[in-house]
Amino acid sequence: MARRVLPSVDSTNAEAARLAAEMAGPCWVLGLEQTGGRGRRGRPWVSPKGNFYATLLMHPTEAPDVVALRSFAAALALRDALVGITGLPDAFQLKWPNDVLLNGGKLAGILLESAGQGGRVGHLAIGIGVNLISAPDPATVEPGAVAPVSLLSEIGLRVTPEAFLDRLAPAYARREAVFVRDGFAPLREAWLAHAARLGEPIRARTGTRTDEGVFETIDASGALVLRQPDGRLAIPAAEVFF
Amino acid sequence: MSKQSTDADVAFIQALAELLNKNDLTELSVKREYGEDDSLEVRVVKQANIVTTAVAAPAPVIHHAAPTAVAAAPAPAAAALVEDPAQHPGAVTSPMVGTVYLAAEPGATPFVSIGATVSEGQTVLIIEAMKTMNHIPAPRAGTVKRILIEDGSPVEYGAPLMIIE
Repeated sequence: MARRVLPSVDSTNAEAARLAAEMAGPCWVLGLEQTGGRGRRGRPWVSPKGNFYATLLMHPTEAPDVVALRSFAAALALRDALVGITGLPDAFQLKWPNDVLLNGGKLAGILLESAGQGGRVGHLAIGIGVNLISAPDPATVEPGAVAPVSLLSEIGLRVTPEAFLDRLAPAYARREAVFVRDGFAPLREAWLAHAARLGEPIRARTGTRTDEGVFETIDASGALVLRQPDGRLAIPAAEVFF
Repeated sequence: MSKQSTDADVAFIQALAELLNKNDLTELSVKREYGEDDSLEVRVVKQANIVTTAVAAPAPVIHHAAPTAVAAAPAPAAAALVEDPAQHPGAVTSPMVGTVYLAAEPGATPFVSIGATVSEGQTVLIIEAMKTMNHIPAPRAGTVKRILIEDGSPVEYGAPLMIIE
């Protein structure tokens, strides 16, 4: 698969959006540092050299709600790559929808961005950030959020961004192939097998409110399902707090 | 479903009522499965001027307020059962269930505001689902006439979001 490595970039997702029109096939954009890295809702993603910042650009043909399920494919692929490198399957868990936790700390984040016209998706950018050698100061994260960790600090393992992409790209290709062939069901099952806090009380903060409940499952659309005293709540978009 | 879904359900029912009118139908039934024992059943009937809804336990039952008022009106008024933004030729509708945002991040300048001139393809909203930020473009050049949702609110598939004409 095509790969572009940039010594420095504002944001690999932004670069992918700029490339979207000229690239017909899928392409990985790897930035060795980001000067304007960002997470969900515009939060800055501190991006010094040594950590992993990459975006997979693709042009999916499904409806937007189906395209969005690649959130889970990406999280699983990222976990696959990390387990492959470390040989520690029990160390990595998934936080809905797509954060990867290492020993309970936030190791990685994924932000997908799509743009399209007339109910179709023109391009999809799957942005993935992994704290390979350093993590942001815990004091800089929101109170209640999972504390950031790095692969180096937790496991003592040093991996370069290029070597990490060598693992991640084929891992994603395998999950993508299953998704295209068999749909969301196998991804859902695999995701639930590695879900953090399944069956436990969690909080989900949406655009306008915070809901509490027992994290029961994810439904066929990928939505977080909270069990509450008066019923179940399916949430398609939220920030989850433990 | 819970209270959070109530607004979305109402929007969904409105969309159905509009669909009914638009296609000159007399009756429309839809059942949506949210989970194992959680579903929403909606039947919209035009001739009788009744909109009935039933939601499986344990969710609250939603009663649509409009039909009661309309029922007392002469029959031809049925076409005006509910206000009809989804049917508007300039409507921008949601391609997915999710949360809608009017700005790239909290506190930032909104993508557009009422009265703004937009070009075709310009991002006017974002719908988030599964941490996928779906940038919604203006389907045509024009002026933003109405914004039908609040920043950060949940939206259903097909829900009218904005009118651009």
